[in-house]
Amino acid sequence: MGLLTRTTETAPCTVEVVHKFEELSAHVRLDNGAVINPGDTVKVQGPPVLAGYGEAVSEQRTAFITRASTLERFWTRLTGDMEFMELCEFSFSEEATL
Amino acid sequence: MNAHAKHTADATTAEEGLAIQQAQAKFDSKAATDLAMQNTILTPRFYTTDFDELDAIDVTPVRADWDNLLDQMRRDPNKGHFRKTAEWDQIDWEGMEPELKKEFLDFLVSSCTAEFSGCVLYKEMKRRGNNKDICELFSYMSRDEARHAGFINDALREAGVAVNLGFLTREKKYTYFRPKFIYYATYLSEKIGYARYITIYRHLERHPEKRFHPIFKWFKEWCNDEHSHGEAFALLMRTDPRITESFTSKLWIRFFLTAVYSTMWVRDHARPRFHEALGVDIDWYDQEVFRITSEIARQVFPVELDIQHPAWRKNLDRMNRAFQAMDRAKQKGGVSGWLGRMAAGAGAARAFAALYLIPIKANVPPENVRLQPAY
Repeated sequence: MGLLTRTTETAPCTVEVVHKFEELSAHVRLDNGAVINPGDTVKVQGPPVLAGYGEAVSEQRTAFITRASTLERFWTRLTGDMEFMELCEFSFSEEATL
Repeated sequence: MNAHAKHTADATTAEEGLAIQQAQAKFDSKAATDLAMQNTILTPRFYTTDFDELDAIDVTPVRADWDNLLDQMRRDPNKGHFRKTAEWDQIDWEGMEPELKKEFLDFLVSSCTAEFSGCVLYKEMKRRGNNKDICELFSYMSRDEARHAGFINDALREAGVAVNLGFLTREKKYTYFRPKFIYYATYLSEKIGYARYITIYRHLERHPEKRFHPIFKWFKEWCNDEHSHGEAFALLMRTDPRITESFTSKLWIRFFLTAVYSTMWVRDHARPRFHEALGVDIDWYDQEVFRITSEIARQVFPVELDIQHPAWRKNLDRMNRAFQAMDRAKQKGGVSGWLGRMAAGAGAARAFAALYLIPIKANVPPENVRLQPAY
């Protein structure tokens, strides 16, 4: 990881999607213990993992990790906080008119 | 067996319910291909934080309250609540007034996304952490959010909206929040969520004829979950006085409160048909939600916004007008649109600064942190 250069790596991962009445959730777990840092991007390879209604799906896939450069990481740490409004629940989208 | 039952809520036996669900699942996969259903892709964001700092939290100063709360979450009193009963009236979605339908679907999709994002965030925190207390807390919160999301999803399905979870295979960028900011934002979010839901629930108790969808009947238990999640964050903030009591923390809390309240004001005012259908005056509703949230937040925040100050409503209205002007300018486009956007942005910034600078009310959080849902 350089100041301005990005590096990439792959990691085996497990994608779990639950699409049931009692639970709606979707998670990616990196199985080799790779740690995601601020500014990194993760892309799971392959077609979308889709679970029909009433199904729970767990699939082994490969994740493609693009490591942010040192500068990007620093910038994300510095500015990420300002996106906090996304954590807030307002019941409505930010679109002024639908 | 009722051959006409179309919904699991109408099923008289478990087998019948299962059969309906299976038929519905077939419809889903078919719908996904022929686009008979409107497809909505959930777009949650992904976050990282300082997990070492999170692991370093020591709940010893609030141990008794903590154990109490975690014990309640472990017992899971709301398990089984989020299921549809005879109380779930069938809705004539086709007959719903189009503007109302649009705003109500926006409400359901946004709420579902919020629950879903919470679920992802909490699960990530649980997975990356090593602190036993913290991991246990986040596993319960993640469970609750997934349950809520499932319940809203079901209401959306009835409306013919299929939620698409395929976002996982798209590229996702991880942004960063300091733990302190996660506490402020999620604490406020959970408590304001509680205040919003309970205010609508109580209003509809008084005016049941305005309840245009059965999901509102479930708001009480739903918001009790929000309330206890908020309690957990209140306890976390009380483990270390620096999180709330330092000079800069107070400025940040004031900033969060102003930003969250004013955003809520603007977004609610952009959904007139939804509130009209509920028979809710938006000005009254928002002030009521601010009042309840502010009262609750005294448990942990050393500052409180003065929502009765004459400049408060005046600048909220200014802010709202600035956002409406911004929207008109965006639709207009071109040079004059750009100029309009700049002017509207400046107006919104001025209104925000005026709101932020209203003198705050100082507050000394009580010795005993815990609150019960009492509204």
